[in-house]
Amino acid sequence: MSENKDKTSRRDFLKGAAMGVAGGALATMLVYSYSPWRKRHFAKVERKLEDIGVCKKVNITNISETSWFDNAALMGDIKGAGGLLVNQYKYNWPPFGDGTGLGNGSYEKGIAKIKHLLPDRLEEAWEIISANSVHPDNAGGYCALIEVEELNGQKHKYLLDSGWSYKWMDECFKREGIDEMLKNREIEALIMTHEHFDHFWGIPVTLKYDPTITMYIPEGVYPEGLQYVKDSGHQGKLVKIKPGLNKYIPGMASFLFSVPIICRVYGEQSLYFNVKDKGLVSVTGCCHQGIIQFAETAYREIKYENDNLHGVYGGLHISPFEDWDPKYDDLAISLGKYGFEKVGCNHCTGIICAKKFIAAGYPVVRGTARYRSKDTAYLGNGDRIAFGV
Amino acid sequence: MEIERYGTNYLEERKLVKRWKGPIPAIVCLIFTLVIFYATWWIFQDPRGLMRMYTPYVGYMYTRWWLIVLIWMVYIFNYWPFPRSWLNKTHPLLKGVVLTAISVGVLYVLIKGFFEGLLGNLGLAYFNPEQLLKLPGITEFFAIEYASLACLMFAAIASWLSPAWIVACEEAPWQDLNQPSKGISIWIATFFLSTLIYFMTMHSHMGILYYPWQYFTSIAPPYWEKFADTVSGNFHISWIMCCTVSVWLVETIWERYPFSLIKRNWLRRIVAFFGIIAIAFAMHFFLYFVQELTWGPAIRGTRRDFAPDWRWLHVGEMAVIFLVPALFIKFYCGNWPTKFSLPVNVLIRTVIAIIAAALIYIFYYKTSHLFLGTQKGFSHPQQFPMIPTIWLIDIWLAHHWFMDNWPGWKMVPKTAEEIAQEHAEHEAMIKDVRWNASFGWGLGAGAVAGVAVFFTTMWILPILYNAINIIK
Repeated sequence: MSENKDKTSRRDFLKGAAMGVAGGALATMLVYSYSPWRKRHFAKVERKLEDIGVCKKVNITNISETSWFDNAALMGDIKGAGGLLVNQYKYNWPPFGDGTGLGNGSYEKGIAKIKHLLPDRLEEAWEIISANSVHPDNAGGYCALIEVEELNGQKHKYLLDSGWSYKWMDECFKREGIDEMLKNREIEALIMTHEHFDHFWGIPVTLKYDPTITMYIPEGVYPEGLQYVKDSGHQGKLVKIKPGLNKYIPGMASFLFSVPIICRVYGEQSLYFNVKDKGLVSVTGCCHQGIIQFAETAYREIKYENDNLHGVYGGLHISPFEDWDPKYDDLAISLGKYGFEKVGCNHCTGIICAKKFIAAGYPVVRGTARYRSKDTAYLGNGDRIAFGV
Repeated sequence: MEIERYGTNYLEERKLVKRWKGPIPAIVCLIFTLVIFYATWWIFQDPRGLMRMYTPYVGYMYTRWWLIVLIWMVYIFNYWPFPRSWLNKTHPLLKGVVLTAISVGVLYVLIKGFFEGLLGNLGLAYFNPEQLLKLPGITEFFAIEYASLACLMFAAIASWLSPAWIVACEEAPWQDLNQPSKGISIWIATFFLSTLIYFMTMHSHMGILYYPWQYFTSIAPPYWEKFADTVSGNFHISWIMCCTVSVWLVETIWERYPFSLIKRNWLRRIVAFFGIIAIAFAMHFFLYFVQELTWGPAIRGTRRDFAPDWRWLHVGEMAVIFLVPALFIKFYCGNWPTKFSLPVNVLIRTVIAIIAAALIYIFYYKTSHLFLGTQKGFSHPQQFPMIPTIWLIDIWLAHHWFMDNWPGWKMVPKTAEEIAQEHAEHEAMIKDVRWNASFGWGLGAGAVAGVAVFFTTMWILPILYNAINIIK
């Protein structure tokens, strides 16, 4: 009898305990998990304050921010090929068109048609490309010239990305005198932010004028991209940038973010400049990691003048297709508290976003809307911006 | 003359007899459903496949609404208009084909007819891509994506409320009606409630999706902005997804426990309905906190895995992954274990499901980009683990509900005695959980242990996460 009672009592205790464990855990989850008390569990941000040096000033010329000219055509291609996740080398876009139509391309078949013409005979190559690719005339490109002056007066020139269309980029290079600078070996290096078609596929245009140029590419570039660098006739030094902070010259560094990006691309590097008496300047290709993440990373990782975020230039990747999402409003609302004093945005920032920035009272540097740039709300093709002047 | 019962209580009154001993039927069915999953994924969803609907919102919308149509057909309409004799006698393969074809037909009419045609043309333009294309600057791709987003946000709510009315409210007050009157009544009630909640949670998200913000038609900025640290409706997607998962946990591995312990009908139903919401909010906050502990606090305005809006979305993604093992335990493992008391059985199943969900989570993010055509990484804007997981769940539901777990099991109708015996056993199991001093001591000690489990988990999670390299 007593044994039975013990058994019952042990069994009942277990039943109660099983119910209690679940109830106790669920109740704590409900009450504690989103309460202010939870913040005690967060590790305190420890600033590394890495010294990247200081530079005197940075001048940027926007060679081309118009990566494509017609959003509807580009998005129609993306939709037709299967959406934003399809490998970019399969779209059959220029320069890898093989004549088999949208979504059926490949790097190997595309490059086979033009490889023998790279990098010198780009006009002939473009004729073949135009005959075999989807929407060849929609291709533009993103590319900027960065001029950095060190504190001792020494000047450096870099190309940030090399655009997309051979035809368009060659025109842009001639318009801004980049062709001559490359021929004269004035430009020290080509810094590739990431592997996207509109930044990466115009490499032969740079190599046409300087095949020996040093190239910096992110570690996440896929085998097709690496092969393309070779097939384009690159003879110079190829440096693969590792994730994290990478120093270039005093006052200039890049940070490679390991982020997955649409069209099967992985990783993007963006640039930091520590400008004397002004603060940090952020220069980006597309900034797929997000400008606030970029700013927060700078805060955690590096030391900069006056602990001040001075300026930003480039694509901020907010509404590249003039699409919108409430999360972009989070950015537009939050950016103000970072206190950037000069916002030179364009490209994948999106015109809607630039207008929202202006409406929010941010110091957006307006453009001139020349050379097929669409709006004065941001810096267009041929426009310039200077930091530290 | 006997009234046709259609599929009322069909699931309870069918006996699934294993064709082979041990775990073989479960393994066979798992392989069978995974083959169907991968073949259909390739045909309909995969960005490298045939129809490439994983854009992602188009595929996501159809996946979610298919789930709801299945729930409507089985839980709300009890297989109406198919007579019970047809359900009992027809070969599972034929049943599967016919009922799945009907579900897809209903799905198509619902999306194209109701949302795009009716609502999109006569009510809210954002449900119809063609109406959206009239806006200056919008591309066809995003017009379709936005309209799909609106539809699937509605679906998220319906996927919680449609089963909740059956599981929690036990069909009240229409439980005694015959089909289709009962189905129509519950369908209208849940659809109406879904519409109300849609307007209070998702409409403002859609209202600020366009430039300028639609101040006159929606609350802009949305009222949840400060609390959720984002203006995105993903905050609501998160808790609503947790509601969907909670409903199915309660219905499957929890056997409607602990609500089944409440004897008074009206009280049990109300407590169950709001209890499911409370459990969902516990998951909602907890899974957000888990991310803060492993990745660091969210930073508003950032992209990807540090953005609050993505973190909320990821809460829903994690919750749905939890549902996968829970449904597998119920559908293919006979709700194992069953030999202990109800609270102990439930606790063991829950722990198994949590461990299995963690393993599936790691497996998914380590490998999905290799075979599903998704992108590597946790937070890619086009990385939606909810699509493959719900797609698999849809297939399991069709397999379990329409095909009686063929080929692993064979369906035999239970006899009246077997049904009566099962009811008696169920009643006894509930009565077995009764209040006494030992139970009370156990409850108290368990509650303290539950709090300790919570804080231990909080302490150990970051260590575990750092020890496992999920994405190289």
